[in-house]
Amino acid sequence: MPAWSQLIGMTPAHASRIFAVFRQDTKNDAHVHVGDVHAVDAEMALVLAKEQFARRDPCVSLWVIPYSQIEASASDDADIFEHATDKSYRFGGSYREQQRVMKPRRREGR
Amino acid sequence: MTLAAVPALRPPEVREALIAYLLGVADDELIVGHRHSEWTGFAPDIESDVALSSIAQEEIGHARLLYERVAELAGGDPDALAYGRGPDAFRNAVLVERPNGDWGFSITRMCLYDHADAVRLDALAGGDLTPLADLARTLRREERYHMIYGEQWLRRLARATDDSRSKVQAALDVAWPEAEALFAAVAGQDMLKEPGVLAVDPATQVQRWRDVMLPVLTDVGLRVPAGPKQAPVPDGRHGQHTEHLAALLEEMTSVWRSEPGARW
Repeated sequence: MPAWSQLIGMTPAHASRIFAVFRQDTKNDAHVHVGDVHAVDAEMALVLAKEQFARRDPCVSLWVIPYSQIEASASDDADIFEHATDKSYRFGGSYREQQRVMKPRRREGR
Repeated sequence: MTLAAVPALRPPEVREALIAYLLGVADDELIVGHRHSEWTGFAPDIESDVALSSIAQEEIGHARLLYERVAELAGGDPDALAYGRGPDAFRNAVLVERPNGDWGFSITRMCLYDHADAVRLDALAGGDLTPLADLARTLRREERYHMIYGEQWLRRLARATDDSRSKVQAALDVAWPEAEALFAAVAGQDMLKEPGVLAVDPATQVQRWRDVMLPVLTDVGLRVPAGPKQAPVPDGRHGQHTEHLAALLEEMTSVWRSEPGARW
């Protein structure tokens, strides 16, 4: 299991000072990765992230995580996500109730 | 209700004192905001470049709100207050007019200034004059971030290297007495106590500020300059300034002066 920073060619020293910033727009949303900040520690990263990523868009919460702490699936391992046989039974898209829930979202272009 | 209609402010001497007081706060915000804006494009990293620009906009926005209150009381135009006066008419403390110098000085000043501003706004927010108390509460919401930003940077600079520590210590030696002068009273300030506009006297405000600042500074191993000051700090609240203010105004007001009264 490689470190994400290794995969993208970041030195360990660099990786501990680059923080991925995750913003939550409302309490009903998941935290989404919106960008990165340079900082010497997590507390400072939060201070900087507030002004970089929450000064315009709505925000109720921020997370910061140093790149050195992110483990990633190996990029040459993409095969592992491919299905070898038909798995359409897993999607459950033919349930009427699910179509009712999904439809309005699709109309919004999501 | 505009301030001009408030019964407690009818006596001319009370009104004059409040005008002087609000002008001092507004001038502090405008001038420190302009200094922060000078970091745009020059801050040590892009994150701080954005943050300083943003903080500058907020300080200048606060100045605008305060100039509008002054204009309610004294008449005139808020823009003319900001851009149409010469250095002698400014009532800001000299701390904010000092050039930015290095990053260590700018951060040290910011930390001292914004903590002092918080004490000052708390005093105003606790007053009986609703329009001013509400205004102070509004400004305080944004000032909280400025305070955190300055303090977190200062803590790191003080602990990073010998070089960064000695720079912020040198900055503190200069800025500390000038920051205390932020609380210097304007003419007639004690008259604002009786009508409940400003119930906290300057000595109490200085003490509150020291009580907040000292633990922060000692925690990171910085020492507050003690003993006799080298030179007395010019009293900006009575129009005494350094030559830096004239140079700042020359640049800041050049566009406005090129076509006074123009609508942009």
